[in-house]
Amino acid sequence: MKKISVALIALVLVASVASPVFAAPYPTKPLEIIAPANPGGGFDALARAINRALEVEKLYGQPMSVVNKPGGGGAVGFAYMQMKAKDDYEMIVFSPPLIIGNINGTFSTGKYTELVPIAQLITDYQVFLVKADSPYKTFKDLIDAVKKDPQAIKFAGGSAAGNMDHLAFCKVAKAAGIDPAKLVYVAFSGGGEAMTTLLGGNVSFVSTGVGEALGQLQAGTVRALAVTSATRRTGVLANVPTVKESGINATYEVWRGVFGAPGMTKAAQDYWVKTLKKMTTTATWKDSLEKMQWVDAYTDSAAFTKFLADEYKSYETLMKDLGLAK
Amino acid sequence: MDLLHNIALGFSVAGTPFNLLLAFVGVFLGTVIGVLPGIGPMTGVALLIPICFGLPPSSAIILMAGIYYGAMYGGSTTSILVNTPGESSSVVTCIDGHEMAKQGRAGPALAAAAIGSFVAGTFATIMLMAFGPLLAQVALKFGPPEFFALMVMGLTVVTSLAGRSMLKAVFSTLFGLAIAMVGIDLQSGVQRFTFGNIQFMDGIEFLVVAIGIFALTEVFINIAEMKNPKEVSMEKIKGGLWLTKEDWKRFWPSSIRGTLSGFFVGGIAGAGAAVASFVSYGIEKRFSKHRKELGTGAIEGVTGPESANNAAAGGSLIYLLCLGIPGSGTTAIMLGALMMFGLQPGPLLFTQQPAFVWGLIASMYIGNIMLLVLNLPLVGMWVKLLKVPEYLLTLFILIFSFLGVYTMNNSVQDLVLMVIFGIVGYGMKRADVPAAPIILGMVLGKQMEEKFRQSMVISDGSFGIFFSRPIAVVFLFIAFLSITNPYWKPAINGAKRLLSKPKAA
Repeated sequence: MKKISVALIALVLVASVASPVFAAPYPTKPLEIIAPANPGGGFDALARAINRALEVEKLYGQPMSVVNKPGGGGAVGFAYMQMKAKDDYEMIVFSPPLIIGNINGTFSTGKYTELVPIAQLITDYQVFLVKADSPYKTFKDLIDAVKKDPQAIKFAGGSAAGNMDHLAFCKVAKAAGIDPAKLVYVAFSGGGEAMTTLLGGNVSFVSTGVGEALGQLQAGTVRALAVTSATRRTGVLANVPTVKESGINATYEVWRGVFGAPGMTKAAQDYWVKTLKKMTTTATWKDSLEKMQWVDAYTDSAAFTKFLADEYKSYETLMKDLGLAK
Repeated sequence: MDLLHNIALGFSVAGTPFNLLLAFVGVFLGTVIGVLPGIGPMTGVALLIPICFGLPPSSAIILMAGIYYGAMYGGSTTSILVNTPGESSSVVTCIDGHEMAKQGRAGPALAAAAIGSFVAGTFATIMLMAFGPLLAQVALKFGPPEFFALMVMGLTVVTSLAGRSMLKAVFSTLFGLAIAMVGIDLQSGVQRFTFGNIQFMDGIEFLVVAIGIFALTEVFINIAEMKNPKEVSMEKIKGGLWLTKEDWKRFWPSSIRGTLSGFFVGGIAGAGAAVASFVSYGIEKRFSKHRKELGTGAIEGVTGPESANNAAAGGSLIYLLCLGIPGSGTTAIMLGALMMFGLQPGPLLFTQQPAFVWGLIASMYIGNIMLLVLNLPLVGMWVKLLKVPEYLLTLFILIFSFLGVYTMNNSVQDLVLMVIFGIVGYGMKRADVPAAPIILGMVLGKQMEEKFRQSMVISDGSFGIFFSRPIAVVFLFIAFLSITNPYWKPAINGAKRLLSKPKAA
């Protein structure tokens, strides 16, 4: 009897340690989805939308939770993922700050390429808004005014200098032949503050994400001069020309994607590429997209990786011009 | 008539048994969250978002709003009882509230805080209802220069927190301002005083400092005094739990001042509930009949700030509902949640979703009454806490401080910082340096610098921007008067003597 049980234990031990044949297929443990920001922001909303879709559509057989790791514009979340290297049950949502932080040196703990890209899920664009009674009727009016006297035009955004609100217009202005270093950006600590400043007539225009602008656009208190997408948007933005249509060859995308921890196994990566692709076709996910006004922009791991490399180059030159690269 | 119709609509939405239940759950959870230090209304609302998915939008917002102002009620409880601020906006309440508790008057202090909150909450709701869109237009007049001037005015409050030595108070304020400088600079994107530490990039969390220098310092002092036991300094309970006639007489003027100033400074100008509470304390120190008693356990030091922070919380909903712009961290989360329901917050919300907006407003009335009914009987229970032996109470404070600070960011570094600030606070207490100005410096410092720099960018570096705007000029003038206040009397007297001398001669 005793011998048999010892043998059994030995067998179990061997099986669990050595042989992958005996190991259960990939998801055997709870999943953590990291939002590298406080509750309430875009990262948090995306992480929770993923969580919800996976749960409601029963795509992941194990429990899962959203964990907020705010700080340093994503640097804390990034460092956390490095700490969790080789853990197949950690996922993080990220957006351009991942690359921006790499270039300006705030992500001091490592390079963005350590993370394993799984998929880009959605994208958002920037809009350039003026107050309803602004003298600038078209985007061209505005660009001409900036060309004439860059100092006279002040633009506001809801994040520190060198972040997306700032860089989006710099990229467009650069394409229009304006030295981005000459632009005058007023940084506010939130999109709401930037908006009140515009409505109060303290700045010429605001650079902001589409989502944050919709309420004001519907009410007609502000006017969108241009959107940074490649093609026309629908809905409230149907009548807003793109930057390209305004004669400047530039786009700006606020992509959002999902990454695994450094050293994620191929099996886990494949699992998530497949599962997330499936998730994006579900009704729950589509419902979230519609409500949050996100644009579906699914690309798989390989395409996403290449896209990130291109983004890195593009940001690097722009930020060098602005003296923001380290 | 339109207004009456809307109110009726609102109550018909908020008055359903289910929504009444949610309002109660909301204010109850809010009170609990407010009492626990560290777990702020922001975390509370965020945690509820998943639950809210299953609810209709108006029920969800009723629940979230309940937490929001429930926390404003609860925040003062630990400030008064154990000198541990539950929220940033109840730091000032520690000063006189805890002093009252030491004198055995915790009951009246807690009751006054609850009633003051009720008065202010109701006032803010009425204002929101009657003048919401109009007030929103006033709010838009506050650009960076106006805001900066308002902050300068707020900083003059420091004189009222000074204690015995002005020099020590100034030192303490500057220390607070210095802490506020840590982090990524908004205008340049450059890191300051972060020493390459990624957790410092977003600055030092306000409550880490507040809990360190208030709660832990209290703990250290208790421990130090346990070694050579003196007469126990805290009188357990003296007199009734309820406000005396004299208390009532002092309650109204300070509560009304707190409500008005809080609604304006915190709500309309958008400076937030914490600044509102400090400004209110400054106003009490200057205009109250009993200003000399402030700092030694005067009821005005509780009713004023507590009214102010609730009025500010109500006021910031004007931003959210009338402008579609979040006026505070918590309302930002609510905004995010609204979007998940497919509601687009913005100036059109009132016309497009009347049942939703008026339902929320009506629920705020109901919620405020519930909070009063909920909190007044609790006063008796809270006061019993003081009967707990001191060593146990000290232990509780320790546990809650660590728990609260850790849950904010799940960061061990925050705990280390909190302990360091506790030690600093202990040293300051021994050296008789007042701690409250540190908090004031922190609260104002960051915003003040941001607004100053924004103004400078907008004006191309000209200081003229502060003097060409009427609202800013008024604030700066009040600040000037407030600083020079001690010199007028001698100056006027001197001038009188000079003028009258020739006559006498």
